[in-house]
Amino acid sequence: MAIELTMPRLSDTMESGTIIKWNVKEGDKVASGDVVADVETDKATMEMQVYDGGTVSRIVVPEGKTVAVGTLIAVIEDGRGGASPKPADRLAVPPSSASSASSPPAPEPRIAPASPSMRPSAADDAESARLRVSPVARRIAEEHGIELGSLVGSGPAGRIVKQDVLAAVENRRAASVAPPTTVKTSQALSMPARTPAAPLPAMPASALASAPLAAGGRPGREMPLSGMRQTIARRLVESKTTIPHYQITMRITMDPVLSLRKDLNAQLEPQGVKLSVNDFIVRACATAMAEHPLMNASWGGDRILLHGAVNVGVAVSLPEERGGGLVVAVIRDADRKSLRWISEETRTLAEKARTKGLSVEDMADSTFTISNLGMFGVEHFTAVINPPNSAILACGAAIAQPVVRDGGLAVGHEMQATLSLDHRVIDGATGAAWLGSFKRLLEHPALLMV
Amino acid sequence: MSRVIEFRDALREAMSEEMRRDPRVFLLGEEVAQYDGAYKVSKGMLAEFGPRRVIDMPISENGFAGLGIGAAMMGLRPIVEFMSWSFSLVAADQILNNAPKMLYMSGGQFGCPIVFRGNDGAGGQLGSTHSWCVESLYANVPGLKMAIPSNPYDAKGLLKTAIRDPDPVFFLESERMLALKGEVPEEEYLIPFGQAAIRREGGDCTIVSFGRPVHFAMDAAEVLAKEDGIECEVIDGRTIRPLDLETIVRSVRKTNRCVVVDQSWSFASVGSEVAAQVSEACFDDLDHHVHRVHADDVPAPYAMNLEQEMLPNPRKIRKAVLSACYRG
Repeated sequence: MAIELTMPRLSDTMESGTIIKWNVKEGDKVASGDVVADVETDKATMEMQVYDGGTVSRIVVPEGKTVAVGTLIAVIEDGRGGASPKPADRLAVPPSSASSASSPPAPEPRIAPASPSMRPSAADDAESARLRVSPVARRIAEEHGIELGSLVGSGPAGRIVKQDVLAAVENRRAASVAPPTTVKTSQALSMPARTPAAPLPAMPASALASAPLAAGGRPGREMPLSGMRQTIARRLVESKTTIPHYQITMRITMDPVLSLRKDLNAQLEPQGVKLSVNDFIVRACATAMAEHPLMNASWGGDRILLHGAVNVGVAVSLPEERGGGLVVAVIRDADRKSLRWISEETRTLAEKARTKGLSVEDMADSTFTISNLGMFGVEHFTAVINPPNSAILACGAAIAQPVVRDGGLAVGHEMQATLSLDHRVIDGATGAAWLGSFKRLLEHPALLMV
Repeated sequence: MSRVIEFRDALREAMSEEMRRDPRVFLLGEEVAQYDGAYKVSKGMLAEFGPRRVIDMPISENGFAGLGIGAAMMGLRPIVEFMSWSFSLVAADQILNNAPKMLYMSGGQFGCPIVFRGNDGAGGQLGSTHSWCVESLYANVPGLKMAIPSNPYDAKGLLKTAIRDPDPVFFLESERMLALKGEVPEEEYLIPFGQAAIRREGGDCTIVSFGRPVHFAMDAAEVLAKEDGIECEVIDGRTIRPLDLETIVRSVRKTNRCVVVDQSWSFASVGSEVAAQVSEACFDDLDHHVHRVHADDVPAPYAMNLEQEMLPNPRKIRKAVLSACYRG
């Protein structure tokens, strides 16, 4: 019986994967649990394990090639005869989520769909992971560099047809022609995040340069896009073009936090604990959610999803030698973790991100994200919402400056915290109330201890 | 200069002109001479050409089809009229087993330059046995050619080409169209085989048809443009063998959708063959599978309402086009 191996969906946001390396070749015997390939997903490189033993009869997708989730990548002959099961029944899964059981684990409950689309997720119906595309739609998409995985098909069984691809081309053209005005925002407001008629825009075509510019003796060069860079590009364009962003800023006096941190670090040094300002910020964000559940929510197209878990994502920049880029490490249940725990976990994840790379689990399921550029001396900036979050906090540095305190001038440390909010979910007053709570927690940091 | 004449006049003009031009050409069939033609197609031809060239035949299709084939093998250019193609079934051995294979089986010694012509298709309340659409049945056989005009201009131009063709030509007319009027030039012209005509241009969906259903396709295209905003490109194949695949493919590459309308039954039919060839040639151009519209898979009913419903009528064609365009 031939068993079809398909590109597994290794995260909710994964739409395609690249075979980095095959560990087997055609004719090789494999046993259940063998790692047959390394797969680069949108953010991490994963090992791909098989459940079925047998002989690799065919490798369909060569190394280096990127294919959509659900695409046949190899065939294993188990030597038992009989009809092949649907690929859905035998999806290969990454070892990380298979470690606890020898049988395929149940899909992990997700707190929010990766995107509020009408497309059923792989967990609902793995058969639907197979992209159905009419031949001409596939050809037009190829000609225009439209990623089929980003489209929602309007044909039978979700088949992507010509009009869907043309709409995406048109959408992209429109996005590149029209400046990002408020009119655009209000259009986004009036329609669901994803509809078959308005697929996600990709990069604006006419804004693209065709060749690097050179100057006397200094040739330009082209940098191929890594999977991560492609994901960043696609997701942030998606975010900025479909989410009606707005920002609010508050100044926060950081002296109490700085002084508490100094004290705690001095006491805890023998234990190897070194709390960062960012750890206080993570803890304060998570604690503030208790009073403002709407801040911990996702837009669901026809409803708002209020999450029970408070999972705080922390943006981590990666070093150049690892290809640069950015990942979001997720501190799960941050509202129930102590400062010390948060600190340790953040440091572990950041270290892992910068050395071997985060697993999909490490990056999954954030409900809110923090981007902190304080360590670079940035005073103030705005961040782009990380879908399906509805809010992101941009923190600048705590800067020493003259402040009015008790009617007199003094030197204080102030940090500017700027929230970017999805107006479909969160109105200004809600955001401001949350920011007020956040400020109060940092200005009275003993509250973070209880 | 052109004038408006009927389909049957166009057929007669083609035969008469060719008989004047070539003494080897002659007409035989039931009622073609003294009665001036069962459908008045050969009206006046006996008077002009005499009983040696316009010859009445007994009700014996197998006999006179074979007679014509023998004459063709010996160098004459017979035109055999079947009152209806439904009656040709009794001559199947002659027209399918002898005529199309003679050149091959004789190693090139005997050709078979013969034209079989007559009425084809349902729609005249003639019942199940007299409403045959033989195109799918006969087009399966290698060695023959098949023409199926949809209007007087094509009827004349294609029939003249058929008469001059060195191979057996099955020429499919329609009783329902014999009185159809159309412009036909007075000057001589011929229409080469294997050249389809685009009857209506459009960018949304290609409709391919042959013979009488071309009119159904045009009616459907009219409604689709008006009601649904879908512009169809209607292609009249004109000949089934040879098939002008090139024109069809060029259109499908433009529209990405294709509906084939064929008045015969769908199973193993001309429509299925065209659908298969389009799928092979245009796989990467198609936005939906090729849709087929055929006569329903039943013997032709006698009752008028049922018979009209059985045909590949404009309603069914519109439905197929809507589906092909993901609008159905």
